[in-house]
Amino acid sequence: MTTNKTDSPKVELMAPAGSYEAMMAAIKAGCNSVYFGVEQLNMRSRSSNNFTLEDLEKIAEIGKKNNIKTYLTLNTILYDHDIRLMKEIIDAAKKSKITAVIASDHAAINYAKKIGLVVHISTQANVSNIETIEFYSAYADVIVLARELSLKQVAEICTNIKRKKITGPSGNLVKVEIFVHGALCMAISGKCYMSLHSNYASANRGACIQNCRKSYVVTDKENGVEFEVDNEYIMSAKDLCTIDFIDKIVDAGVSVMKIEGRGRSADYVYTTTKCYREAIQSFYDGTFSTEKVEEWKTQLATVFNRGFWDGYYLGKKMGEWSNEYGSKATQKKIYIAKGMKYFSKTGIGEFKMESHTLEKGNKIMITGPTTGYVEATVDEIRVDDKLVELTNKGETFTIKLSEKIRPSDKLYKIVEE
Amino acid sequence: MIKIVHHRNKCIGCNACVEAAPKRWGISRRDGKAVLVNGIEKKGIYTIDLQDWELEENLKAKQNCPVKIIEIIKL
Repeated sequence: MTTNKTDSPKVELMAPAGSYEAMMAAIKAGCNSVYFGVEQLNMRSRSSNNFTLEDLEKIAEIGKKNNIKTYLTLNTILYDHDIRLMKEIIDAAKKSKITAVIASDHAAINYAKKIGLVVHISTQANVSNIETIEFYSAYADVIVLARELSLKQVAEICTNIKRKKITGPSGNLVKVEIFVHGALCMAISGKCYMSLHSNYASANRGACIQNCRKSYVVTDKENGVEFEVDNEYIMSAKDLCTIDFIDKIVDAGVSVMKIEGRGRSADYVYTTTKCYREAIQSFYDGTFSTEKVEEWKTQLATVFNRGFWDGYYLGKKMGEWSNEYGSKATQKKIYIAKGMKYFSKTGIGEFKMESHTLEKGNKIMITGPTTGYVEATVDEIRVDDKLVELTNKGETFTIKLSEKIRPSDKLYKIVEE
Repeated sequence: MIKIVHHRNKCIGCNACVEAAPKRWGISRRDGKAVLVNGIEKKGIYTIDLQDWELEENLKAKQNCPVKIIEIIKL
C-alpha cells in the first residue's frame, strides 16, 4: 500500500535507509522522509552496506521522484583528521540536493550552516532542555531530542518553543523530532564507552559491537561468589515501541517521528514504517483504537525485536531488560530463490531456486534495491509451464505476482517461529 | 619476516592502529582513513613485508582494529 502524500498528515514519519532495498521499502510503506549514512562518519559505519558519496545524487533523485525528504546522518564524534572528509561529504550533500544533514559534532553543524545546507541536530547531541534548543536554533530547524526524556518533558519543550517563539535559520519555529520505535541503549543516546573498553570498537565512531546485548554473570572477585541475577541480560534494554500512544506524542507537539534501524533489513523497515504510517493516519482520521493497536503490535512483533517497552516517555521507571539474545521476532525469513524476470502482461514472476523448497500456500517476501519490499502468498507454482505442488533447489519456476520483480531481487520464504 | 595486509576501504578512521603502532600507521587527512606507512597498493589493498621486530606492535594494531581489516601473515 502506498499512501497518497497529498493527504499526508502533518506529523512527518522518518524511516531508516541503510540500503536501497530499505529505502524503497520505506517509500512503499508510506514514509515522508528517510535518513541514511555515507562513508565512515556515521553511527552505523560498522555495517557493511553503507552508501558512498557516489550514491548521494541517486538518493536525492529517488527522494524527489517519490516526494520524500532525504537526510544524511553525519553524527559520529569527529577528530582533526576527519575534518576534510566531513567537509567533502557536506559539500557533496549540498551539491546533490540532499534535504538536510543530521549532525551532532559542532564542527559539522558549523560547516553545514556556513555553506547553507539545512542542519538537523542529532540525538547524539542529547538535547534535553529548552535553553539548549535555543542555543541550537541558531543552526538548526529540526532538533532530535534525547531518547531518555519523558513525554511530559517533550511536551513542555514543544510548548516553550511556541511561547518563546524560538525560530531556526529558516525563520520558522524549531521543529521537535523524537524516536518512536527501535533499539534503545543502556547508555544515554548512544554515548557509550563499553564497546571501546572491551573491544577497542568505539560506539561513538559507529563501531559498537553491542556487548550490552549479551548475557552476563556477576561474580564477587574477593570470594568468588556469583550473584544471583534473575535475568542474565543485565544491560540489554528492550526495544522502544510507542504505537499505542502516538496520539499522546502528536498532542505533545512533536513534528517528526523517527524509526530507528539503519542496520535493519528491508522487511523490517517496511513493516515498522507501514504500521506507524497507518497509526498516524488513523489518529488524524479519528479511527485510532485499541483493536488496531493490538493488530499493529502483532505485525511489529513479526520482525526483529528484543521485546517491546515504552522507553522513558511514560515516566522514569527503571529500564526493562530483554531476557534473551537476539530477536524475538515471531517470523523468520529463509532465503530460497533469486529473481530472473517479470512478465508484465500476465503478471508473472520467474525465479531460480537456490536452496530449500517452496510449496503452494507458502508466504513469501521479495526484496531488492529497486523493488523495495513485496509480500505475497504462493497460490500456484509452475515449472516448465506445468503446475507443481513444490519446487526444489536448482529449478526455475514462475508464480503470479501483482508487482514487478527484477534480477537483483531476492525471494525469501516466511516461516512462523 | 611478516607481511601486513590492510583492507583499507572498510576503515572507519578510528585511530586505534595508530595508537598501537605509531611508526607503521598514520591517518590520512585527505579521506580520514588509516594509512599503512610505505604500503604497496593493489586493488585498494595495501601490503608491506617487515622484519619480525615490528610484529608485536602491529599485532596490537590488528587486535585493536574494530572492523578487523588488518591481517598479519608470517612469511
